[in-house]
This record gives sequence, C-alpha cells and structure tokens, in this order.
Amino acid sequence: MIFEAGPRTPLVELTASSCLIRGECYPENISEWSEPVLKTLEECLSQGQGEFKVDIELYYFNSSSAKFLFDFFEFLEESAEGGKAITINWRYRAEDDTMQEAGEDFEEDLSACAYNMVLVDDESK
Amino acid sequence: MAKKIKSKDTVELHSFMQDRRTLFCYSGPLTEDLLTTISNPVKHQLSDKETEEVVAKRVFGVFIEQAQNIIRYSYKKTKTTGDSIGTIAISVADEGFLIEAVNVVDPQKKDVLEASLVEISMKDQKELRELYKQRLREGPPEDSAGAGLGFIEMARRVKKFEFDFVESDHEALFVYRGWVS
Repeated sequence: MIFEAGPRTPLVELTASSCLIRGECYPENISEWSEPVLKTLEECLSQGQGEFKVDIELYYFNSSSAKFLFDFFEFLEESAEGGKAITINWRYRAEDDTMQEAGEDFEEDLSACAYNMVLVDDESK
Repeated sequence: MAKKIKSKDTVELHSFMQDRRTLFCYSGPLTEDLLTTISNPVKHQLSDKETEEVVAKRVFGVFIEQAQNIIRYSYKKTKTTGDSIGTIAISVADEGFLIEAVNVVDPQKKDVLEASLVEISMKDQKELRELYKQRLREGPPEDSAGAGLGFIEMARRVKKFEFDFVESDHEALFVYRGWVS
C-alpha cells in the first residue's frame, strides 16, 4: 500500500514485512492523514509472518507530527513486546542535529524493537 | 475617514520592508489551505540566500509552528468564515533570521500563556529537550491554554526569543520574535 507524498506529507510505503516513510511531515490535519496510515500499518503487522523492517527518513516534521510519530513508535513497541520481530532504521543526514536528536529521543522509549541510527549522504535526497 | 493612499505612502511601505530586509510578510486571515500555498515561496526565499540548509529548515520550522499557532489560537476571526487572523513575517536581522508573529489572544487565557512562556524562556537546550519529551509522552496539562509542544519546539530552534502582550485597540495582542542563525 502506497500513500504518495503530498506537498506537506511524506511518502509512506507499507508491505507485510516493511514500512518506509520518507519526506517532510506537517499536514493540514494530522489525524486525517495519519489514521489510514496507522490502520494499514496495523493490518500489515498482523498479516506478516516474519520480521518487520521500518525505514524512516524525514527532513522536517512539525510538533503535531511529533505526536503522531510518538504514537507510531508506541504501537510498534507494543507489537514487538507481543513477539513481533521489528527493526527500525532512523535515517538522518550528518549536519542535521534536529533529526539526529529526534531519532535519539524516540529510541529512548523503544527496547523491544531493534533500533538503528543511520547516517545518510546528501545523495539519497 | 479613510486616508487617501498616495505614492509616498506606497514608497513608505516599500522602504519599510526593504529596511527591515523582509523576506516574507502576511497579515490577514490564515488557514491551513493558505499555509500550504505560502509554504513554497517561503521555502524558495530561504533557499535563495547563502543559507545552510539546516538553518533554512530551522527558520521554516519556526515559521510553520507560529503560523499554526495563529490558525489554532488566534482570538480574532473573520466574520463570514471564522478564519483566524494574524500577522507573520520573516526578515533578515543582524543576529540572523527574525520570525515575527502577532495575533489577538483571548484575555481569559493570557495569564496562563504568559506563565508557561516565561517558564519555557528560562530553560536551557537540555531542559527544553526534556520538557519536550515529557510533554510528548504525557500530553498537554489539564487546562491546555498554556504554551504547548509548538512553543517548546520553537524555543529549541531559535537562538533566542522574546514575547510580549500589548494592548491595542481594546485587544490583547500576543507579540512574538524569534531569531534563528
């Protein structure tokens, strides 16, 4: 399932074994945008058999989106605590302190999920 | 009686914005729809300068948070559509980029907002980061009229910020200035 990127929302690609989120996130209405994404994530996690890999590469997100990301990670953590093998890769660019710190902060509440901070080159833009 | 606007007045407007090195200014009804539209020229303006991308992103971040603050909490609305009214501007100052915002506030909520902003203004980067995480985990306090996640976020991105409450035309104006470099 693909949620195409919008002017203010990231690309989200969900399969039974993966989730990719890439771009910027500051939607007009965060619940309106995130509800179908979270619902699809839930379905994918319950359908999939093996590991679930999450790749997140955000360049910017606003404070309302931070709340969504917190809920998103909380949901993944609950699934991992329930036995699902989940790996999260927080991808960020070297000079981006903001995204690095955000990645570190979200990591604090995740112990059942495997979590990696991944440096990306500018080329990946 | 409305004053007749002449060339000298228009030049005055031009000079004022030039002197202030204004990159962007909007004053009037602000909606999410409009914010989507104006985000592009703002981004463009910021990428035009010899600005580091991370600095441009911080300026943009404060701009979005402040704009959304106006949209959600401005006490002055348009008569027909109920859209929030406010002013937001980005200019170049000696200390970096300056983001300014003005909106009418609910006089009943002014004190709570002021108290929470004073609290935020006294915290250092480390404390702000902790406060942000705490707010994220616990949600807003009982009476959510205080400064929320958005203001904490802004405080983390700016080098410094100042705020004020100004009486103008029997309205209580909230005035914000944040510098990013």
